[in-house]
Amino acid sequence: METAVPSGETPDADPDESPAEATALRMLLGAQLRRLREAAGISPEKAGYEIRASRSKISRMETGRVGLKLRDIEDLLTLYDVLDKKQRAKVIALASRSREPEWWTQYNDILPDWFETYLGLESAATAIRSFETQFVPGLFQTEDYARAVTRLGHQTAPEPEIERRVRLRLARQDLLSRARRPRIWAIMDEAVLRRPQGGARVMRAQLARLAEAARLPGVTLQVVPFSRGGHAAASGSFSILRFEERDLPDVVYVEQLTSALYLDQRADVEHYLEVVNQLSGEALTPADTALFIEQAIKET
Amino acid sequence: MTIDEAPGADDGASKVGPLPFDVTKAHQARMYDYYLGGKDNFAADRAAVDEHIKIYPDLVFTMRANRAFLGRAVRYLTAEAGIRQFLDIGTGIPTAGNTHEIAQAIAPESRVVYVDYDPVVLAHARALLDSNDAGATEYLDADLRDTGTILTQAAELLDFTKPVAITLMSILHAVPDADNPHAIVAMLLDAVPPGSYLAISHFGEELMSAEAREALMGSIKRTSLQRYTSRTREQMARFFDGTDLVEPGLVPVEEWRPDPGAGGQGKSVYWCAVGRKR
Repeated sequence: METAVPSGETPDADPDESPAEATALRMLLGAQLRRLREAAGISPEKAGYEIRASRSKISRMETGRVGLKLRDIEDLLTLYDVLDKKQRAKVIALASRSREPEWWTQYNDILPDWFETYLGLESAATAIRSFETQFVPGLFQTEDYARAVTRLGHQTAPEPEIERRVRLRLARQDLLSRARRPRIWAIMDEAVLRRPQGGARVMRAQLARLAEAARLPGVTLQVVPFSRGGHAAASGSFSILRFEERDLPDVVYVEQLTSALYLDQRADVEHYLEVVNQLSGEALTPADTALFIEQAIKET
Repeated sequence: MTIDEAPGADDGASKVGPLPFDVTKAHQARMYDYYLGGKDNFAADRAAVDEHIKIYPDLVFTMRANRAFLGRAVRYLTAEAGIRQFLDIGTGIPTAGNTHEIAQAIAPESRVVYVDYDPVVLAHARALLDSNDAGATEYLDADLRDTGTILTQAAELLDFTKPVAITLMSILHAVPDADNPHAIVAMLLDAVPPGSYLAISHFGEELMSAEAREALMGSIKRTSLQRYTSRTREQMARFFDGTDLVEPGLVPVEEWRPDPGAGGQGKSVYWCAVGRKR
């Protein structure tokens, strides 16, 4: 279990790379370095010592949360006994490509580090599965709904800050119009549809937006109705992000009030996968969910 | 696919109905996902597969060859046999090259009904198997052994007065003899008109040594939710009673109209065939 910490390193811009790929590349790089380290039988402590860093920095680097200086990567490769010039060059090239500023750096003033990591993962993912107990998934929120829930979370914030937070949330939705966008499979508790955030008018518009989202290709929505009684996710909301590269593990994201958990250990991830699988079997089918949302619009 | 409620009652008829949710035992659909390089599998599935391939390394080849056979069979059925309706029973967890994707790439108006008895597997199919606009995909929660239910519901989604291709990939060996798989297939064939097709892949008795088979079955019994029954060439051929086999007839999966340059002939342990109803 780990929380994200910012790298503190300044990335070198590379105009050839689209920003959204940087996080995936960093994860891929990390996964490769982990494989090489394990193959060499070297502990994370020892690897950390070699580059004057902590064990946890090594493990954050290996899961793609932070980058490393190229010189440190060179030193690690030597430690891991990777001496073949071609193989080294491949790893270094990957490292160079993964240093690219992301679009959300302009929101640094309101963006906690732990959420910045999520944005990176979200934009690199090929599939996102989530379970929501309270709120409409951020990617499908209308502006008014986003404003209402942002005010809930930041009751004392001045209006300009609220607006910037809403802008950030809406900017995230650009993901949906990208040519290569992740598949989204969101399961919502019925409470998400029933709690009228921002009042009935805002909520009706939000539900209509959900109904539209359900028709988008690559988007699957399912509702777990109250009538199903207790359901598998006693825990609360979470997301599971999946990446194209075979080496990369799924990452579970669990948001808390002041931080977030990122889980990528197999045992943890599989527990959440099991829960979301079970929920998908218990929830209404996507077709019935569409009808359910239409009904909720009438009842709001 | 079947599940044995009472381990030890091996060849007995097993309970018909949806598969209970259990990730502590290996599951055929999730093991297949692991074989094919997917990420929708759990520790128990991987442990079981790792044990199985220690016993018989060519299972890896077999599973990939089986997937490739599905692709070639559906391509043949759509492009050459002119089939536009598919009943895919034992859908499994979606991966690359699913039935409707292959069929609709050739004939966009193709309709596919996916059937599985595992609610979680079917939830994956519903979420991930998006149809194009011209064609359609539908999903049925049903056990192959509830054949009547499948046919009644499929009849609302497919036009049974026109030819249908029924695909039963890697599923009949999970139906024990006591559940009479030959009668099940005969009933399915009865429901569709002449000119319809049947495509099957099945664990072949003669394709693995008795020793390896016994070791494998022992391992499966310990690790897995489902049980498997290998069948001989003759038993496999009997599924196709009332049909004419398409060239090259009944062969190991990798030998059925292989793509140019495909290798590995004679390595898989799955029989396959495609037959056209007379």
